Amino acid sequence: MSFTGPLSIITLVPLLSGLILLVLPNVLPNDVSMRMKASVRNVAIGLSSAIFLLTTLIFIGTIGQIDWLSIGMGDYVLETEDPVWLIESIGVTWHLGTDALSFPMIWLTTLLIPISMLVQWDAEDGHSFHSLLLIMEGALIGVFVSLDLFVFYIFWELTLVPMFFLIMIWGGEDRKYASMKFFIYTFTASVLMLVGILVMYFNTVADPNYAGTLTGHHFNLVLMTEQSRVDGLITSEGLRHFVWLLLLIGFATKMPSVPVHTWLPDAHVQAPTAGSMLLAGVMLKMGAYGFLRIAVAMFPESTLTFVPLLVFLGMASLVYGAVVCLGQTNLKRMVAYSSVSHMGLIFLGIATMQPLGFAGALFMMFAHGIISPLLFAVAGSFKHHYHTLEIGSMRGIAHHSPFLAGHMMLGWMGSLGLPLLAGFVAEVAIMIAFWMTFGWWVLLPALTLIFTALYYLTSMQKMIFESDDPHTGKLPDTMHDEEPRDVTWHENAGMFVLGALTILFGILPFIFWDMMSAWSTEFIQTYLVHAMNMLEASP
Amino acid sequence: MILSSSEAAAMAPEMAIMVGILFAILVPNLGDAKARIPLTSFKFPILWGGTRFEITSDPRAPGIISTVSLAVACILSLYAIESSDGKAISGVMEITGFGRFMSMVFTAALAITAAASIYRIPSTKITVDDAKDADERTTLSLMDNRRQVDLHILLMMVALGMSLMALSTNLFFLIVCLELASMASYVLVGFHKESRIGGEAGAKYFIVGSIASATGIYGMSLLYLWAGSLDFASLSASWAAMDTLDPLAGIGVGLMLVAFGFKVSAAPFHLAAPDAYSGTNAPIAGMLATASKAMGFVAMMRVLVGFAAPNEAVTAWAPALGVLAIITMTWGNLAALSSENPKRMLAYSSVAHAGYMLAALAALGSGLADSNTQDLLQMAIVFHLSVLVLFKMGAFLVLTLLEIEGTGKSISDMNGLARRDPIVASSMFVFMLSLAGIPPLSGFLSKFLMINGLVTTTTDTGAVTATNAMSWLQSVDPYFLLALAIVLNSALSLFYYLRIGLLMFFEEPITDSPLPKAPLLKVAILVSMVLTVLFGLGPASEWLLSLVETAISTF
Repeated sequence: MSFTGPLSIITLVPLLSGLILLVLPNVLPNDVSMRMKASVRNVAIGLSSAIFLLTTLIFIGTIGQIDWLSIGMGDYVLETEDPVWLIESIGVTWHLGTDALSFPMIWLTTLLIPISMLVQWDAEDGHSFHSLLLIMEGALIGVFVSLDLFVFYIFWELTLVPMFFLIMIWGGEDRKYASMKFFIYTFTASVLMLVGILVMYFNTVADPNYAGTLTGHHFNLVLMTEQSRVDGLITSEGLRHFVWLLLLIGFATKMPSVPVHTWLPDAHVQAPTAGSMLLAGVMLKMGAYGFLRIAVAMFPESTLTFVPLLVFLGMASLVYGAVVCLGQTNLKRMVAYSSVSHMGLIFLGIATMQPLGFAGALFMMFAHGIISPLLFAVAGSFKHHYHTLEIGSMRGIAHHSPFLAGHMMLGWMGSLGLPLLAGFVAEVAIMIAFWMTFGWWVLLPALTLIFTALYYLTSMQKMIFESDDPHTGKLPDTMHDEEPRDVTWHENAGMFVLGALTILFGILPFIFWDMMSAWSTEFIQTYLVHAMNMLEASP
Repeated sequence: MILSSSEAAAMAPEMAIMVGILFAILVPNLGDAKARIPLTSFKFPILWGGTRFEITSDPRAPGIISTVSLAVACILSLYAIESSDGKAISGVMEITGFGRFMSMVFTAALAITAAASIYRIPSTKITVDDAKDADERTTLSLMDNRRQVDLHILLMMVALGMSLMALSTNLFFLIVCLELASMASYVLVGFHKESRIGGEAGAKYFIVGSIASATGIYGMSLLYLWAGSLDFASLSASWAAMDTLDPLAGIGVGLMLVAFGFKVSAAPFHLAAPDAYSGTNAPIAGMLATASKAMGFVAMMRVLVGFAAPNEAVTAWAPALGVLAIITMTWGNLAALSSENPKRMLAYSSVAHAGYMLAALAALGSGLADSNTQDLLQMAIVFHLSVLVLFKMGAFLVLTLLEIEGTGKSISDMNGLARRDPIVASSMFVFMLSLAGIPPLSGFLSKFLMINGLVTTTTDTGAVTATNAMSWLQSVDPYFLLALAIVLNSALSLFYYLRIGLLMFFEEPITDSPLPKAPLLKVAILVSMVLTVLFGLGPASEWLLSLVETAISTF
């Protein structure tokens, strides 16, 4: 199983077909290319739906007969067996695999791509737009399936390029600034992370199968994790902390956490709807994923040492995000800051060092990955139909756009953590774990959630219900007296799917929760307890 | 100098270049001249002079000759890399895999330059029809491809000097070859002598360059005083025998660094480079940024690593080079940020890249690297020099296209390039990303190798007992900071590389007319783009790396 395994297929097919679809219309003769441009979006959504189907088949066990509940930390399924060399002299292999940490994210990616295509079904220059989304899909999945740090880093940076173009070409007024800031900000953080990765690489022992012929080291993540569990990857404690901090800079910027979050509101506000959906839905999770997969798994002792820092970052993001949300008048900006706030919860969940907290963080990644795209889809169609994002500029959507109002309400409720919706499960799990570790300090994050409810409810009240005239509502000036209409069929369909899933995973969280929980328990038992004992043993 | 046949065969690439030079001199003079055998009316053609044939007076002829001969030299060098056996020639040269690899890089860069110059240097504007009388008509008909001949002969001389330089085992011979290449490139830089800016660029480059060379030659004479020989072998032996740094040797090497620092445009010797790049035409600027820089680095490696490698007592130049590296990369990137002329911007970006390579060189000289790591660092430098030919040159080729249509002086001329020609614009964007070091492009792999070399060299110097990050950072050797300096500078450089992308894809085009027709040039751009991607990851990069490894093993 080399380039033909199911994971290789779901990574490479969208990547390559997206590239081909992007290039072909530019080189073919004019009349052929005109016809092709018209059908690109059909091909793109067909392909991405097929990939979604394939991933779902893997999940329910039709492909590979995988028992997800038995997969703990350190086990990988669908793993590439023999090393497939990409650059033999420095030890880079095409090594894929997935587990309970990455699989929900892969499933989420394959789900969100067709939905975001659907939501922006009639985008301008759709042939480039939809093929860029396909490239994006391949790069995002690549991040989650690579078990080779070099390839992981390549996919990690590769996600920037399509997103840069999505923001730059289809973005709002200030897209130039936003796309530059997005690219440079996250690139700076990830090159620092690269130095950390290189130090880790230098400390790997020569492995007969995977070591580079020239350097004697390897990038194999599985072997590195194993080495760090058995012997510790890096001997010097100071260096370990230093590398951990470099990795933290890379991952925290991607998440993003206060104080390195400032790229996010700009990127989100300017990005096209589909871009925002992917950015919030999957790209932010790359940070949390990498943090768990690399920083926590390989340097559990450093993680334990820096728990106060994690709690501080998490709390700061949570509180700051919520407080800033209160003052926002721009709908998308508010949703963006609410993402910062929710990402803070993920850090808090990890900082608890409890299986429940880890599982809660994992489920938060997943739930936020369904709810926040819904929020951005709502904000996008709001902008599409009312030509503004100002929260106070219009009242009474419920009167003239009942579907939009309904989706908005569901999304808002899901995001503030209403029971029986997906977000609730994660929040409760994290809070309980936080209480188990830190006792009554749990009041701090718990009370912050009141702010969340406050800003969501205020904005909802202003936009959906308050109305000067019970029949038409108040319309913003930007409408220029057009008749208000409800969302288009494709926006409606996309939001409907996301809304349905929000409810589904709220009522039946165990679909993913059980495997996450099994994985987290294994993680704590094999990796962290050992590290805790080590820490207690040392003075 | 008479060469035996086996020696001549070993020097086939140089032979190909010399044949090219001869052809470039002869072919444009071929005409239908006939000579009459005295006392008879029988005439036979002597081909020399007279009215020239269509094909020999074609302004493209010299360009094609030089492109072909340089390309042949490039391919011959490629095939000679594996089979070179270190044959010594005339006591000053040695045919090594390393020398052959470098001559491949040089000739590849110059072949692309020559091909691009076919389009860039148009035949003289005055045509035969403008002539006032018969005399002038003859002169002009002779003239119309003379400029091309000059340019291409100079290009081939640059190639000849560079490839001989890579083979030399003697410091004196190295300097002579370096000067051959430099002299030719001074003329090339000032080739547009009609324009004020062209003359200024040539003069500036020549004056600064010759002062740098003079300094270097003075340093060489000091080294001769010190060691009594300029053979690398004996210099190396004398250097290794030193207990403390002999001031004569130290000053000698330091002065030579000035000369080579100018060639690689390292701060503070880079001041002429931006003017030279922006004053000359784009293909020549591309040559300065790739082949000429590679030549400087090879010379630097020959001196610093070849004989002045750090021994146990003396690690003289590494700290200076480290500081120079940080200044160079930061200065280059900061200056590039505010450049409004794309060639100036690329010149400063080239300065920044020199800084990255100097950092790797400094780590080589730190004396911390074991022999494996030293190979790794050298590989990183050589790999970077060779892939630079693809993406740096590629960027200059795109500028050549703009220059042919008369723009390209200001960065706003890139506006809307994506709408005028999406393929060229995408290629330019790939070149920019590769220069910035975005994976999976080859620019990333080379930068990655350099950072990896630096990390490998220095990580072990950190205290094992350090218990927090700060105390570890204090204990580690300061060369580790070079790695951080490189990554932070890469981030800084994104500002100006991405800006090009923004302009190309975002702004309204200044004109809707398509880019000039230059099929060969566009093919070269496309090929460079594809190779930039391929050499970043996968079998192609593996092949190039193994080639570099072979080359380095015979350094």
